[in-house]
Amino acid sequence: MDSLAPHTEVRVAVAQCFRTLSTSTEPEDIISSLQTLLSFLDEGPESRSTPDQRAEFSRAHFTRTLQFLLSNIQADWLLGLSAAQRTDLWDGLFLRGPPEQALLVLMEGISELKASTSLDLLISITERFLLSGRLAALLWSSCLQTAPSDSPQLRETLLARIVALPDLTANRLHLKNKPCFCPQQYFTLLASEMLTALERTCQALKDGTDCSLIFVAQTLGKVCVQGHSGPVFAVMAPRLSVCTRSDMVWQRVCWKLLQNVPQRWMESVLTGLVQAVRGPEAFGRIIGNLVLTNKKAQYVVTHKLLLLQYKYETQVLRTVLGYLAADRERRSLLLQVLRALSQAWANPSAVKHTPLEQQLYVSKALLLSVNLLRDAELQELRSELLQCMLGGMQSHLDSSVVRIRHMGMVVGECLSARMDLNNTKLKFEYDQDEETLELLSLMTPISGEEPEEEPENGVTSPQETSEKTTQNASSENKSKSDPGSDLDSDDEFSPYDMSADQEMTKESPRYLRDCLETLISSEDSVRVELSLRVAEGLVRKNVFAAREISVQLTKVLLHTEDKYSIRGFLSLRQTTMVALTVTDCIPVTQYLTTEFYSMNYGLRQRLDILEVLALAAQELSKPISEERSPSVGVSSCTDLTPYPGDNPVHWRQVVERRIQNKTKRLTKGATQPPAKATPNRYAPVAGHFFFPLLSNYDKPQVTFDLLGGDHLVLGRLIHTLGLFMHLAVNAPVAAQMGRALLDFVWAVRYHADQMVRRGVLFAVCSVFLSMPSQNLLVDLNEQLFETRTWLADVAEGDPDEDCRNLAIQSLVLLDKSLKKQLQDQQALGMET
Amino acid sequence: MSRPAPSPIFTLRGAGAPLNTLHFSCHGGDTPLLFSGSGKGAIHMWNLNTRRAETVVEGHSGNSVVWVNTLRGTDTLISQGRDMRVCLWDLSEGRRAVLDSLWTGSVGFCQCSLLEMSTGTHLLAFAGQQTEEIKIVELPSKTPVCTLVPDAKLGMVMCIKLWQPDSGPGPLLLAGYEDGSLLLWDVTQRAQLNQTKAHPEPVMCLTFDPQCLRGVSGSSEKDLCSWRLDGQNNLQLQDSVTLVNPGVSQLCVRGDGKLLASAGWDHRVRIFGWKKLRPLAVLQYHTDLVLSVAFSDHQDPRQRLLAAGSKDQRISLWSLFNEGADTG
Repeated sequence: MDSLAPHTEVRVAVAQCFRTLSTSTEPEDIISSLQTLLSFLDEGPESRSTPDQRAEFSRAHFTRTLQFLLSNIQADWLLGLSAAQRTDLWDGLFLRGPPEQALLVLMEGISELKASTSLDLLISITERFLLSGRLAALLWSSCLQTAPSDSPQLRETLLARIVALPDLTANRLHLKNKPCFCPQQYFTLLASEMLTALERTCQALKDGTDCSLIFVAQTLGKVCVQGHSGPVFAVMAPRLSVCTRSDMVWQRVCWKLLQNVPQRWMESVLTGLVQAVRGPEAFGRIIGNLVLTNKKAQYVVTHKLLLLQYKYETQVLRTVLGYLAADRERRSLLLQVLRALSQAWANPSAVKHTPLEQQLYVSKALLLSVNLLRDAELQELRSELLQCMLGGMQSHLDSSVVRIRHMGMVVGECLSARMDLNNTKLKFEYDQDEETLELLSLMTPISGEEPEEEPENGVTSPQETSEKTTQNASSENKSKSDPGSDLDSDDEFSPYDMSADQEMTKESPRYLRDCLETLISSEDSVRVELSLRVAEGLVRKNVFAAREISVQLTKVLLHTEDKYSIRGFLSLRQTTMVALTVTDCIPVTQYLTTEFYSMNYGLRQRLDILEVLALAAQELSKPISEERSPSVGVSSCTDLTPYPGDNPVHWRQVVERRIQNKTKRLTKGATQPPAKATPNRYAPVAGHFFFPLLSNYDKPQVTFDLLGGDHLVLGRLIHTLGLFMHLAVNAPVAAQMGRALLDFVWAVRYHADQMVRRGVLFAVCSVFLSMPSQNLLVDLNEQLFETRTWLADVAEGDPDEDCRNLAIQSLVLLDKSLKKQLQDQQALGMET
Repeated sequence: MSRPAPSPIFTLRGAGAPLNTLHFSCHGGDTPLLFSGSGKGAIHMWNLNTRRAETVVEGHSGNSVVWVNTLRGTDTLISQGRDMRVCLWDLSEGRRAVLDSLWTGSVGFCQCSLLEMSTGTHLLAFAGQQTEEIKIVELPSKTPVCTLVPDAKLGMVMCIKLWQPDSGPGPLLLAGYEDGSLLLWDVTQRAQLNQTKAHPEPVMCLTFDPQCLRGVSGSSEKDLCSWRLDGQNNLQLQDSVTLVNPGVSQLCVRGDGKLLASAGWDHRVRIFGWKKLRPLAVLQYHTDLVLSVAFSDHQDPRQRLLAAGSKDQRISLWSLFNEGADTG
């Protein structure tokens, strides 16, 4: 009976209050009822209620009370209360009761009410609820319940409400949302409230009270999985890192917290944390040996972060690998990771089929982990690493992508240096760009302190030189001060006339035939250089003379090697050959296209042929301008015009420029005078450039297998063909060319090498751009459908980003062209 | 005011190959001779009276001859070829036979240096098989005297000059190296006495005048660098002369110590006053690199000649500044 008494007592009192509030109009009655309700919440010595009563009220009546208040939010008595009374009595009920119940009721109220003063009231209460630290109280109260008293559904709902609060308020308030409900601020607040709860937990543990971190862990997990790990860990990680530095209890609390994170949310918590902490030590302090106890965590840390995802900064890799290396028990995982990494790096299929960024990421991870190995462990893994290094380097160096080759070189160098193979090291030549430097820098471990500044070498040199000059000066002085024992000075001889002693300038050849002779037979480097320098100008100056020996000179140039290290040799040779091709188009193209498929040429020469043809076609397709510089587009200072294939921007620019040209801009108006019509020199000869190159591609020779190992050339060939196609826009032969080109590339559209695929897509793009749209529909009727399917497939699934973009580009072009054609046909039909 | 540029007094043609080295032998005997070594392995003996090649010998199996000299007192010719051999020839009484040969092991272009000792023997210094190595042997016994290898890495030995100082006990050796350094060696002590960096590029040639202890070296750039030895055997760099065109293949000081001749890569021979390196003449005749210059050792100063051998396969002979000897 004793235990029943407070329950009924409370129930009667609460019912009494409800009745008064719903019927009475007297302000005094209202106030006293509210005060009665409040009194059940008051703790402290002057409280009018007993602890039993308070507990019963919290358990059974608080939610009901709040719901009742909300349902009467429009009542007259509420408006009758003064502001102070309302804050004290009405709001107080929300802010002083059990926070989880209050939050649930508030969120329910907010989602039900429409925009009104009542909603504003609720919002302001919620705001105060958040700002007065009630969330911390909520979390802390959950920590104290070692066994969950309420139902899982309730907890689930509560969790959802806490995490979704910014969404709920934003949906309701739209533009009038309060700043503290915005995700950035709210989650920062939530993070600090979680920290408060953890801090109280630590305190309680020190005082000997048991606590449960399950709910906090769940909150953390849910927040992270919803994508708010950034702001949360921005607050939590630094604080946790500091607290765990010296305090064992804090460390225990952190470990427990992470253990309690549910499996399905573990990944997002760990990835969020690993990005936010600074360095492996802090990470290790916070998560402890979680990777050893928790399968999911192990999978995330050792596999997913390293091998499957590749978006993270290098710092994350350092943290993860450093964490694995820091502890004796975790080191076995490091070795396991290293094995997996080396296999992933060396896998030839991965080199071909995974995105470049991922390969870079794996390379970084590999280098970092190798660097963390001890020598003994290195011995153990030596044979595996060696195998990985050799196989992996082979597949990297085989790649036609420069960056992948560089990656292979750098990793090979670093691995061989680390493994100390009989004191031999690999050494490659490559350009030191940002990427290679970054990879190389990974081999130097980062210490906590700033590395000491080394004295710069440059400092000493000025002293040296000054010393030297003083020495010189002193010796000069000496020679002057002592007039020489011999009186017979040089004056006894009177000099001869020396005015003819001028600097040597060799005369450059004035006739193209002289150039040819020199290039064929001369061993004199200066004459060869001069001949090369003037050859292009001579070709362009005297077209008739050039036509007489064009093929012969082309042949000689094609076989000329840079024996004398002439500056700008490649570009000089190239511009001359381009000039020859432009001047005497048909014979030279005939010669070059035949030579392209003949025996005994190096890859470099075949690439040169393609390059020359491409540049010549480009020049021919440009309108003739009167004042043109002798060297077209190639400045003599650059060593060589970059290969189009080396530089994907080049042809992307071409395509984009074309699209730009096709886009009508209404604002532009007719400010530019219409271009003067000039004959297109390329259109009549386009076929000579194009068709011979298509004829022999599938006949492998001893020295040249286009469809086999020489895919570098294949990629360039297709790209060049695409360029010819692109330049042949408006030419009568374009339709034929387009059909032939599509047929040709169809066979290699799924080539393993991405440069070839890029070339193919570029060629397809240019077909769609250059072919007249009626031909496209009529001639390529059957192929179009298949091509579309293939393009869609590539746009979705190709590992190479450029390929995907190009495929999308092609699809857009195709659709545009088809649409135009169909509309034209409709228009024609209407007219008739 | 100044006299017009001189012309050669005569030229010698028909060697059929670039002329790497020249050596006069005019002091004694009846006929003044000029020896030349060609790029195709032939050694010509030119009779300067008839101006014809008297004899041609081939002893280096077609490999370029880089240096020829005669051993005074005997009719012995010594020649160095790029077949890594040094040959001694017996020329007395019309014989043309190889007496002896010596394997050097050097693949470089460094010419040997010969020094006559008082005892009738000769010392021959040549570049050895190792990059920086210089070997010295005694001739005709071929006894090795010493091997000189510097401590530092200086690159190949480019040119050497062996001489006997008046004061010191043993012969000294000057060597120019690929990195532009000049080293002074004491042959008897086998010790390096001094080192200086004369050029930024390899030292292509050097010559040294033991009378006034001054020397000059040339390189592939435009500067001729002169230097002297002080009392403590220290090499001191002195003023340098800047040429119009870069590259010097050989330098030669006339026997009376008054003229310096340089063989230039710009096809020209330049004449300087040796005391102050004042430019005196530029000799333009050749159409390709001048590879060698030599002053003749005529006993009568008025007959003295300058010979220049070029890659254009000709030798030009000049008579210059002989009148000074007349008056003084």
